[in-house]
Amino acid sequence: MAAETDPTFDGGSELRRRKLLGQVFEGVLVASTLVGVLALVALFVLIGNDALGPAEADASWFLLYFVTLVAPTSVYTLLVRRDEVASSINGLSFATVFGSLIGSAVVYVVVDSVRPHDVAIYLVVGSLFPALVLAYNRITGGSHYTGPALPVSILFGLVSARILYPFIIPVISIVADWILFVVVVTGPVAAGLGLFVTSRWSRRYGAVTAVAVLGATLATAGVAITQGIDPALSVVLVSVVAGPVAVVSLDTFKRRETGRYGLLGPWLLIGGIVAGAWLERQLGIEGLETWLTPTLLLNSWSSFRPEQAGIYPQLVGSVLVVGTMAVLSFPVGVGAAIYLEEYAPSTGWRGRLATALDVNISNLAGVPSVVYGLLGLALFQNFFGVAPWLPRALGLKPSLVIAAAATLGLLILPIVIVSSQEALRSVPDELRQGSYGLGASRWQTIRNVVLPEAVPGILTGMILALGRAIGETAPLVIIGVATTTYSAPEGVFGSAAALPLQIFASAANSIPEYRTGVVAAASVILLATMLIMNSTAILIRNRYENN
Amino acid sequence: MSEQTETTSSTAAQRPEVNTESSGGQFEGKTVLESRDLDVYYGETQALQDVSLQIPEKQVTAMIGPSGCGKSTFLRCLNRMNDLVDTAHIEGDVFFNGKNIYADDVESVALRRRIGMVFQHPNPFPKTIYDNVAYGLRVQNNEVTDDIIEDSLRRAALWDEVKDQLDTSALDLSGGQQQRLCIARAIAVDPDVILMDEPASALDPIATSKIEDLIEELAEEYTVVIVTHNMQQAARISDKTAVFLTGGELVEFDDTNKIFENPENQRVEDYITGKFG
Repeated sequence: MAAETDPTFDGGSELRRRKLLGQVFEGVLVASTLVGVLALVALFVLIGNDALGPAEADASWFLLYFVTLVAPTSVYTLLVRRDEVASSINGLSFATVFGSLIGSAVVYVVVDSVRPHDVAIYLVVGSLFPALVLAYNRITGGSHYTGPALPVSILFGLVSARILYPFIIPVISIVADWILFVVVVTGPVAAGLGLFVTSRWSRRYGAVTAVAVLGATLATAGVAITQGIDPALSVVLVSVVAGPVAVVSLDTFKRRETGRYGLLGPWLLIGGIVAGAWLERQLGIEGLETWLTPTLLLNSWSSFRPEQAGIYPQLVGSVLVVGTMAVLSFPVGVGAAIYLEEYAPSTGWRGRLATALDVNISNLAGVPSVVYGLLGLALFQNFFGVAPWLPRALGLKPSLVIAAAATLGLLILPIVIVSSQEALRSVPDELRQGSYGLGASRWQTIRNVVLPEAVPGILTGMILALGRAIGETAPLVIIGVATTTYSAPEGVFGSAAALPLQIFASAANSIPEYRTGVVAAASVILLATMLIMNSTAILIRNRYENN
Repeated sequence: MSEQTETTSSTAAQRPEVNTESSGGQFEGKTVLESRDLDVYYGETQALQDVSLQIPEKQVTAMIGPSGCGKSTFLRCLNRMNDLVDTAHIEGDVFFNGKNIYADDVESVALRRRIGMVFQHPNPFPKTIYDNVAYGLRVQNNEVTDDIIEDSLRRAALWDEVKDQLDTSALDLSGGQQQRLCIARAIAVDPDVILMDEPASALDPIATSKIEDLIEELAEEYTVVIVTHNMQQAARISDKTAVFLTGGELVEFDDTNKIFENPENQRVEDYITGKFG
């Protein structure tokens, strides 16, 4: 009997052998999981080492930053992690400070490259008609015709701005750049913050906030002019960073009873770095031999002096190309997804057509990017070369920025469509039925019930697509974007530039500092950009899943 | 709110009365909805066979029967919700106040504005309580006033529980409250008929009894058609009962008392006494 031969239930040698086999198998699985992670760690170590040069630093340098940066933030992190309220305030504070910093950089770069005069004309003239529609709606207390009227008025405003452009530009050219920055950046931000405070506190506080933001911006600009600093940048920093950070901090401080110290997080980080840098200079400590410097971010490119080389033109170019791509491609992608998910029938020849389209869109996501480059070359470059009358008839100048944006737009279209479809599919059918049951039409149901639910998912897909597009190199090389550029592009009809192309070109530079230092530092910036985009996508998704 | 009630009854009275009490003739009062020889197919499968019945005004008509008997399908034909199912194919006619709703000139969206619906699982929109009730008015381009919102919530017996939290999300309510909110949402647009597809099957007994009380009150102003798999529920709240049996057949339709006490059909008796189903 079994009980006599195996009274201890140890399973005998047969079972032990099987168990060992199972453990070996598990080990193999763990190893294959680690391969990818280890490769990523190696990438960061190699690039980080080249870009930052920690080997050159004194031991005292590490001690200094441990005292000013690592120790305070570690203690703070331990404290915050125990307190749920403080931890949520900390997250909000970090998001506000760094979000507004990134936002200010993007705003400055975009307005600067498109020219503040143009932005001012289109924004001011373009918003007149929508403002009239909204005011009318407000006075009549909810007209039924605002729905179609709003987009039409926006279009009307943009067209009239285009017509009035030649008449306004001579007048507006006299005005200094920084004043236009106040109009196009500070104005909307002050109004937005005022409305936010009005909704949370009172109309009076809201007015005070708007006036305070405007006043602080003008005061800073005045100081900057007397000190001989570019007032435009300080205008953007004060209105886009200081304004929102002050409003959110004060609002949180007044609203919360406990955990207010969670607001300190970003300031400990920034203060630690600033204090460390100041002490490093005062004490004469040998620091990092880093290539990741303000020069790299703000200078123009140089192909001969690596220490002078900056990637500002390429950064502006990448933001411009990717931004244009978003405008061209996102509406198409979301529109296609809405058709396939909400409108396309499942039966009949139209149903079969929709199924075929669906399958092929998923396949398109796998097409190599070089091939998309060839497509872009044929469609957007050679086509305008073969039929030069066509863009002229439409009043368009041939533009490499638009060609590059359109090519990248085609490349990410399947990603946007598939992720938007996924988001639309996750909206429960019961909500649609509830809406139809109340006499809503299909479009009303989509606009009022389906889209609001799907927006976070759609946004997540969009941001991931942006991250994919900003790193693309091959298609841009093929359509003929210059790999080395020395000046920032001027608007969408200027020359195109992109950061990955400069990295590609510099990797073959004959001066070794380029190959080791500059390329690595530029890659760190590119990686950081993508990391920021992806973490934003993850934040949005998490928020969505929690709700 | 008495104003709105009056409007409903007066408009209903002005409508031409077409073929009421014509066939069968066992009902008093006006027929609001009538199906004639209704067949429904999902793809190749037949879900309803030749169903003809008349639904009287301002009464509760219950549809009972075992799972898959077609009672929900029938309900969904009454406000053309089956139009949303691509594979559904409908033959036969349904008349609403004498008008064939499957005629070419009938817009299903306009029809659903007169015939409201409450679903099996509470499905409030992820918006505030106020916006949920206002939704139907907004999509139908009607004016939204606080009075209509309050009155709808009162008639759905929910006002006292939510009056201080109209601006909070409807998803924070309990299941029973959510279902009453869905009823408030349906009556806010003042329809003629309210269809209910097993409205209490996902709720606990206390919430169920609240919904049942509510349905009886609603029948004073509205025509209510309710699908239920719970025979006691049908017996408690309905005036008329239709029994569907497997295969999408309407087997018997009569006063609820008669169905439960003295059914004509042997299969109905077997079903009601629990011999099958």
